Amino acid sequence: MDVKFAKEGNTLIVLIEGEIDHHTASRARARIDSKFLMEPVKNMVMDLSRVTFMDSAGIGLILGRMNRVNSVGGKMTLRKPKPEISKILKMSKIESIVELDA
Amino acid sequence: MQPINRMKTEFLSKSSNEAFARVVAASFVAQADPSIDVLADIRTAVSEAVTNAIVHGYDDTEGIVTMECLLYSDHVEIIIEDFGKGIKDIAQAKTPLFTTRPDLERSGMGFTVMETFMDSLEVESEPGKGTKIRMTKQLEYR
Ligand SMILES: Nc1ncnc2c1ncn2[C@@H]1O[C@H](COP(=O)(O)OP(=O)(O)OP(=O)(O)O)[C@@H](O)[C@H]1O
Ligand SMILES: [Mg+2]
Repeated sequence: MDVKFAKEGNTLIVLIEGEIDHHTASRARARIDSKFLMEPVKNMVMDLSRVTFMDSAGIGLILGRMNRVNSVGGKMTLRKPKPEISKILKMSKIESIVELDA
Repeated sequence: MQPINRMKTEFLSKSSNEAFARVVAASFVAQADPSIDVLADIRTAVSEAVTNAIVHGYDDTEGIVTMECLLYSDHVEIIIEDFGKGIKDIAQAKTPLFTTRPDLERSGMGFTVMETFMDSLEVESEPGKGTKIRMTKQLEYR
């Protein structure tokens, strides 16, 4: 798994590539959180268009980041999940708490 | 009923084996030529059960996890077992959003995922002895 960053105004774009499971999520979490602290940003867009697999560790990763973003008054958006991972996103009802940008 | 084919593997409770286990299970089941969706569901459910063995069963200490796959003409049975700390209250553990490790950002959705993505789920567990998860999935064909 790889995590890439970009900035658009006061929004941090987080591009995740590959598979999100318990093994990969802990490293992604550390990288995303330190970037979000370092950059002068308020909102986060998590681009899921290149995520090929995700289990419940991904739900934890998304909700954990959402809580951080919300705690500084920012907004969290998920962008373009592939059909492979939309089943677990629907099941976890994440779509009703986090904004989805298909 | 006799399975058409069967495999069993064991590995250490290392988080890098989560990907190994789901790839192995999916490649074994792939010989029956099921739909892509069935394979994706199996991959996700195996990942949940193996992660639970590693994270909860062994609390990230070293132990052995076994995975057995039995292939029948119309379904597959997957058994994942650890010999770790076990579950005191299985009904409570299966409740959506219940987790004993919120500190690790676990969401408490693992059992719900296994139940939703597979056709059946049975949990046998004894505190101090370990946990055995038995799941089945109907194989629909393309
Ligand atoms: N193999 C196991 N050994 C010991 N306890 C387990 C095992 N599997 C599950 N549990 C217990 O059951 C609870 C619920 O498991 P479940 O997979 O549903 O959620 P989780 O692992 O806590 O979170 P998530 O899977 O969403 O990351 C766990 O928090 C843990 O207490
Ligand atoms: Mg779990």
